[in-house]
Amino acid sequence: MTTPPRLGYANLGLGVGLRAAHFDHILRHQPAVDWFEVISENFVDSGGRPRHVLRQIAERYPVVMHGVSLSIGSTDPLDFSYLGKLKKLAAEVDARWISDHLCWTGVLGSNTHDLLPVPFTEATLAHVAARVRTVQDFLERPLVLENPSSYVTFAHSTMSEWEFVSRLAEAADCGLLLDVNNVYVSSFNHDLDPDEFIRSLPHHRIVQFHLAGHADYVTHLIDTHDHHVVDPVWELYRTAHQLTGGVSTLLEWDARIPPFPVVHAEVLKAKHFMGERLPAPPPLPDIAPATTPPAPAAASRTPPQVPHPLHHLRPEVA
Amino acid sequence: MSDRPSRQPAAALPRPPLDVVQQWFQAVVTHPAGVAAGASSPAAQRLVRLDRGSLEQLVRRSRRLTAEQRLEIYANAYYARLLECLRDTFPALTRVLGAEAFDSFAFDYLQRYPSRSYTLYRLAESFPRFLDETRPEQSPAAGTAGPAWPDFLIDLATLELAIAEAFDGPGAEGEPLLAAADLLARRAGGDFAKARLAPVPCLRLLRFSHPVNAFYSSAMAMRSRQPVEPPGLLDTRAETAAADLPVPDPGAEHIALSRTDYVVRRYPLTPFEAAVLAALVAGATVGDAIAGAAAASELPDDELAAQLDAAFRRWTAAGFFRATTS
Repeated sequence: MTTPPRLGYANLGLGVGLRAAHFDHILRHQPAVDWFEVISENFVDSGGRPRHVLRQIAERYPVVMHGVSLSIGSTDPLDFSYLGKLKKLAAEVDARWISDHLCWTGVLGSNTHDLLPVPFTEATLAHVAARVRTVQDFLERPLVLENPSSYVTFAHSTMSEWEFVSRLAEAADCGLLLDVNNVYVSSFNHDLDPDEFIRSLPHHRIVQFHLAGHADYVTHLIDTHDHHVVDPVWELYRTAHQLTGGVSTLLEWDARIPPFPVVHAEVLKAKHFMGERLPAPPPLPDIAPATTPPAPAAASRTPPQVPHPLHHLRPEVA
Repeated sequence: MSDRPSRQPAAALPRPPLDVVQQWFQAVVTHPAGVAAGASSPAAQRLVRLDRGSLEQLVRRSRRLTAEQRLEIYANAYYARLLECLRDTFPALTRVLGAEAFDSFAFDYLQRYPSRSYTLYRLAESFPRFLDETRPEQSPAAGTAGPAWPDFLIDLATLELAIAEAFDGPGAEGEPLLAAADLLARRAGGDFAKARLAPVPCLRLLRFSHPVNAFYSSAMAMRSRQPVEPPGLLDTRAETAAADLPVPDPGAEHIALSRTDYVVRRYPLTPFEAAVLAALVAGATVGDAIAGAAAASELPDDELAAQLDAAFRRWTAAGFFRATTS
């Protein structure tokens, strides 16, 4: 049987990652956003305002759940308690799909809370594919997996990342979340061709795109989600859009978060790369560049850039 | 984490199995002394015998970075991410210590209590306990009377952790709560003393050795005007801010902490009120709670009665109890 485009999932349009800094703006102004993606871990255990806000938003907008803790590539056992919470929240907010990353976050019971890379080998492929099938059976829906930004590759990998991702998607019959910025970041870090990466994927399995900004350290890029999307990433997005025919597109902005209209305007720029005839995009708001590498003298005084998403909310106290 | 023993024999390169690769990777990038020390550590060496100069047998170099430099990106991010999370959970403590000193405590904490949960919301849950476990011995020369500086830090950490937990834990928004009129009706009916009150799940009773509640408010007000920058920025403002925020003298303080309309709120209590509330939360009847607290108080009965009257009005207004009583 032929796999339908996007595994049959709808093209939701242009969405924004829901962040606590924007809760009040969204509830008050109900901006004309096509959809929201939420970080699952910010809500699965919440008995407070975050979940209360999410319920209200889910009444008005399509919601997609995006996790950072599935650890699908880990050799630790799957956490079915966590999966149960995901399933419950997905039902509660009518999540259109559930996604996470092709990575592992820890072993031996520990969690680094990072999206760590796997070696691309036949053994890893078999291991991850089996776990994806288990998760899908449990969640009773196809899982959508994202290519993370990565900063190392393993010498014993026997295939490219795009071959691994493609074969995994077929073997596990899952969807793909193509993070275009991550393709750019990883390709720069691993001396790869990002265009070849994107052209080599099974495009009919791509359910969603991610866009984000990153930090440029000259020798490497870090996926910081703290700035505008750079032009080369937009060009890759244009290619990805053409190859897929268009899928749900989501902008992530997780650090130095600007006001909501700035974030929303950023994702709306995607229309200019979809072949639509539109006026030129507005000039960028004045935000201190994250893409300027620190000067050597200042480098030691600059805190390290943290790859995002960082999933932690600050409490509200009277 | 990095010194966790493994039953796996050291793997032969170049194709160690996935579990070995992952255990090795974790041991290396979470090592407190960095990647080179991590790779040389017994935990890593037991898994994959690679010294610092041969890391590229397992991790490829790029055109611009060595394998060690690439691994350092993960090592730096691991601590930066978790320290940022802990600073977010303990903003007042970060203010009083300064970010540099706070990070030093937090860094040591992560060695003893690495995250073992899928959620970062549990990362901080043992931090007050860690401060207590690692508190310096009080010098005999300093005398033994009264709480010391570490008690203040532990109190402040305890308050901030309770705030974080109350903020996102279960609450009672949208549920019917006990109103002052309900209590008056029970009193008029003559069965108030036999009632047991059901506390809302977000209610927490805290006892401190220092008046940290007002200190917390001052620190947060200062933070909104003048944020503490992460360490590494040579932020002299943090030192100035700490000087503007003197540590209070020791003194017992009772605080009830709860949440209404999804906002955490703090309520100072007298010792008598705290004793009554603690008994009620423990399941005592109103009569037994009051009698027990009164017996332990040296205040005259009319003073206690006046306190009680005002206290029950405040507690019902603050939504401390569910509507259901027995």
